[in-house]
Amino acid sequence: MDLLVTGVAGFIGSHLAERLLKEGFQVIGLDSFLDYYPKKIKENNLKGLVSDNKFTFIEGSIFELNLKEILKRVDAIFHQAAIPGVRASWGKEFNKYIENNILGTQVLLEACKDAKIKKFIYASSSSVYGDADELPIKETSATKPVSPYGVSKLAGEHLATLYYKGYDISTVSLRYFTVYGPRQRPDMGFHKFITAILLEKEIEIYGTGDQTRDFTFIDDVVEANLQAFIKGKNGDVYNVGGGSRIALIEVIKIIEEIVGRKAILKYVEHQRGDAQHTYADISKAKRDFGYTPRVDIYEGLKRHYDWLKENLDVYR
Amino acid sequence: MPIDEKLLEILACPKCKGDIRLKDDQSGLICDQCKLLYPIKDDIPIMLIDEAIKLEQTE
Repeated sequence: MDLLVTGVAGFIGSHLAERLLKEGFQVIGLDSFLDYYPKKIKENNLKGLVSDNKFTFIEGSIFELNLKEILKRVDAIFHQAAIPGVRASWGKEFNKYIENNILGTQVLLEACKDAKIKKFIYASSSSVYGDADELPIKETSATKPVSPYGVSKLAGEHLATLYYKGYDISTVSLRYFTVYGPRQRPDMGFHKFITAILLEKEIEIYGTGDQTRDFTFIDDVVEANLQAFIKGKNGDVYNVGGGSRIALIEVIKIIEEIVGRKAILKYVEHQRGDAQHTYADISKAKRDFGYTPRVDIYEGLKRHYDWLKENLDVYR
Repeated sequence: MPIDEKLLEILACPKCKGDIRLKDDQSGLICDQCKLLYPIKDDIPIMLIDEAIKLEQTE
């Protein structure tokens, strides 16, 4: 069985493809190396994949490739490709979010109409919820994004559901809650915190630091993808969280403990687009495909730190 | 490692969507219609119009 992973050079895409290869699948990986962060980091992400003879990598864009031919060979799609970042999505930049996150998803779904795709897993985001009225957040909670990025991911998710209803394409959307671990994007919180403490640099805390997040370790997100691919209900959406929430300032304390060094904190203004609290109710994913997060924040941060310490040069 | 035959079947010129062929020295994929060469670097075909090389410049 051949599987397609879009955004395969990214943080989540690269881990997912590695796991799919381990499970014995043939994987075609696509990436157009959008310049949201440096290409050398993404090439480093691909290192473990390109040597595997069950892996085929194509550097190209969804808008330019011959999707019809590619999809003839593919049984399922894990659509991870997108422009990330809540804070960067305001202003003129939003054009890129429309193009890559909304139009890109639509073009891929459209190509699925003539293909025999058994599953289309769409990487959605907790940012579709915005500031939740109640915690934990259920899939039925109101979707009121507080960032243009959240709006774009929500639109992509609606398209996935729509193509299920209109064309019977077996789509499933997974709403990831703040994913971390080895290869996390350099603009994301944990990467910045660990790096700053290692290099004895200042850490900027947006707002008071008491905002809470449901942090999800990368391996759990990968596992959720695999399970949703096998058992996820078509046309449905699922929360994928880490199973607990923790305040940002507490995370810093854990990292200080792991690194064995105090952080230098600098408090700056709350960032437009950031939600105050996130906490996923994951009972639906558990019920439908047995999702249970296995890696807690201590273990996850330790693994993230151990990896980053050895790979710091890639990010400098 | 030579480029996978199966891969050639699924790739097309990103510009005209027409057929492409492998360059004799396996250094890239050629679209005769658009006269463009899509380079292959480290066994990875770079199927981006922006990175394509105009054939007159190379041959």
